[in-house]
Amino acid sequence: MPIPTLEQKLKWLKPEPATSNEQACVKLVSAGQYEIGLQRTNDLLDEAMEVFMRSSRSSIGIAGDSMVALFTAAGDLANASCGTYLHAIIQPILIKYILHYYSENPGIRDGDVWYTNDALYGGIHNPDQLAIVPIFYGGKLVAWAGAAVHTTETGAIEPGGMPVGATSRFEEGMNLPPIKIGENGVLRDDILEMTAAYGIRAPQMFVIDLKARVVGCERARQRVVEMCERHGVDFVVGLLRKMLETAEQSARQRIAAWPDGVYRSVHFADALGTRQGLVRSCALAMIKQGDRLTFDFTGTSPENNSSYNTHAQSAVGHMSNYIYEYIFHDLPISSATFASIDFKFPPGIVLNPDARAATSNAVMIATGAMSAMHNVFAKAIFPTGMWKQVTASHGNAGNALIIAGLSQWGLPFADMLAYSINTEGQGGRALQDGVDAFGFPWCVYGRAPNVESMENEFPLFIPFSQHWQDSCGHGLYRGGVGTTQLWVGYHKVPALFFATISDNSKIQTPQPLFGGYAPCTVPGISILSADILQKMQAGAPDITLDLQDMLQNHSIGGQWVSEFFGRTTRPVADGDVITVSFATGGAGYGDPLERDPQSVWQDFTTHKISAGVVDNIYKVVLMPDGAGVDVEATKARRDAECQSRLKRGKPYAEFMAEWEQLKPPDEILTWFGKWPTGEPTMPVFRP
Amino acid sequence: MSRIRMTESIDLDLADEMWRCNRCGHALVSARENYKKGCLIHNRDPREIHSPLIEAEYNFAPDPAWIRIIEFYCPQCGTQLETEYLPPGHPLTHDIEIDLDGLKARLARQELIIKEGHLEVAT
Repeated sequence: MPIPTLEQKLKWLKPEPATSNEQACVKLVSAGQYEIGLQRTNDLLDEAMEVFMRSSRSSIGIAGDSMVALFTAAGDLANASCGTYLHAIIQPILIKYILHYYSENPGIRDGDVWYTNDALYGGIHNPDQLAIVPIFYGGKLVAWAGAAVHTTETGAIEPGGMPVGATSRFEEGMNLPPIKIGENGVLRDDILEMTAAYGIRAPQMFVIDLKARVVGCERARQRVVEMCERHGVDFVVGLLRKMLETAEQSARQRIAAWPDGVYRSVHFADALGTRQGLVRSCALAMIKQGDRLTFDFTGTSPENNSSYNTHAQSAVGHMSNYIYEYIFHDLPISSATFASIDFKFPPGIVLNPDARAATSNAVMIATGAMSAMHNVFAKAIFPTGMWKQVTASHGNAGNALIIAGLSQWGLPFADMLAYSINTEGQGGRALQDGVDAFGFPWCVYGRAPNVESMENEFPLFIPFSQHWQDSCGHGLYRGGVGTTQLWVGYHKVPALFFATISDNSKIQTPQPLFGGYAPCTVPGISILSADILQKMQAGAPDITLDLQDMLQNHSIGGQWVSEFFGRTTRPVADGDVITVSFATGGAGYGDPLERDPQSVWQDFTTHKISAGVVDNIYKVVLMPDGAGVDVEATKARRDAECQSRLKRGKPYAEFMAEWEQLKPPDEILTWFGKWPTGEPTMPVFRP
Repeated sequence: MSRIRMTESIDLDLADEMWRCNRCGHALVSARENYKKGCLIHNRDPREIHSPLIEAEYNFAPDPAWIRIIEFYCPQCGTQLETEYLPPGHPLTHDIEIDLDGLKARLARQELIIKEGHLEVAT
């Protein structure tokens, strides 16, 4: 069977035309029945999602970074329960692939279980794995159910499922195109053993998560069959079709209300795996005309032989995080909302690489596209009645921490712990600050794990978990702050390994909005041969368990290391400070000089921002006794800063004459492409 | 009312087809141009905004050789209208390129109306 082309995948994202039977069935669904039926699908999917989460074993599954979805017989997404929107838009591609190529051999039958994790065929990246079951009633295919979650092991060249050192797909472990793994409601033992073999570093997580997906699908399937029994199969077919039609119609009306034009944003990354260099991870022009949108990624940097590439539909999946969260938040989670959206992904860019490309870190390179959504949509919808939905970019860092080895319980494990990714700051909003530690930009419903559970499960000691001061982007409305934790190796286990997946140590990917600032960058800090365990066992007289104090006073002794946050797999000794974890803050919105001084004061007193930021960014003067804001002095200070801006700012022509003479150092442009246009400058070899 | 709020602090004045500062009303440049051409512009070292917290190469501050903060000010009142984080010498982004004629035509047809500075679909 052929690998689907980009054109096929983008076509399959969109809803199929209604069949004559569907058209007839839609007429059976009254307005009132539609509302009740829609809510029924919400309820059954929420129930299936709860079952799915409670059946999962890996940290990300338990945290709820997952999805259960319901599709029409033709494979179009009608509704879903989140979890993460990330998995929504890609699943129709995979179901339509099965329908297109496998209807005859091996055939699609009641009781089948299908499975896939291959981004080449329509997935996100290979840790994101998907179970799909067809839903039959009376011998007829009426719908599909899908359940997806990220599993943190794939049998790749490094543990954790996202090998930063992979140079091609051949180093990424298991990549399964859509395959039938069960028949007549029974999973095949030989297939389960194959996945256990790929997941040998953490077989219990791999196999239990696989079964959890199937359980989630099966619960949804049972409930849909019950709907057919209670209301008739024609009602269910008509309901799902009407949900698509309503979603598409509503989306088109919403888009049509915005002013036509072109809205652009550019975003950068500072590494491909552990190889540092400047990458234009997203150059985006969003063209809005009538009720249609076109996303054109021309100018994005070329693909490369790291795992920081993403297949195009995966980039669309990342874009859908924002689109479902903010633009279509009140519509069913449906692929029909994408009916009037087109895409232009030039071949050979990091968002549309060759079939051999490694893409296990698709989620890292796609942060540019995710961040760009906030900026281009903000500029399209701020002039409209949707202006209150405008939000600056979330942190979008995804500073993922991987640990692997043998636990204190004697079990092999390889896992990505959700705390540092599920507690990023939201971007500043049109009427208020972003939410502090709001969640995971890839999964807005994901939860931060309980720290005691982390310590119980893994050989870790975590002395502090706190808001990370000054981590937000500043502005009229600041981004939410992220969090920080201290991880110490513990329990003297025989094997403990650690790795991190990240960029943003030299630059940050999110752009701010309307005059705000981006969040700060993130160093990789560890302390070898640390004395924290000894000090705490002795009563810890000089340790305050505060990040700022630790950084300024080195209150924990040992060999301090500051390096790039992304780090390859390395062994860890008991008592080492493995890392300081950082979940980044959100980007700022609007001019910081317009921020209410009392809000600045409140942020200072709650340790969200430091005295230095109060003074340097917000130009707020505090009373000498520290008891509040000196209003008059603050006004004078801010007026003076405005005058300074007028003095240092240069007219466009004068500015450009100097600016255009500048260029980044050649040694960081290896992966950028030709400066400044971004065309490829060298071939990519993937033996 | 001929003004539409296009961003937090930039208006589009349809009467004279000009970008204007929302705070002081200063006319920046023709709305058929990039509004950034009507701003005062400053190339800022990112360490002035994101202070290094430790003495090391990786220190919580963006590297000024890699990225700069470009600040766009209203030439009259000094409001910071927009910011961009760009590598040195990277082209400025033409972030809002509005179909001005199309917008005016839709308003003339009363498909859209302006209510409290924002566009609404006429009912």
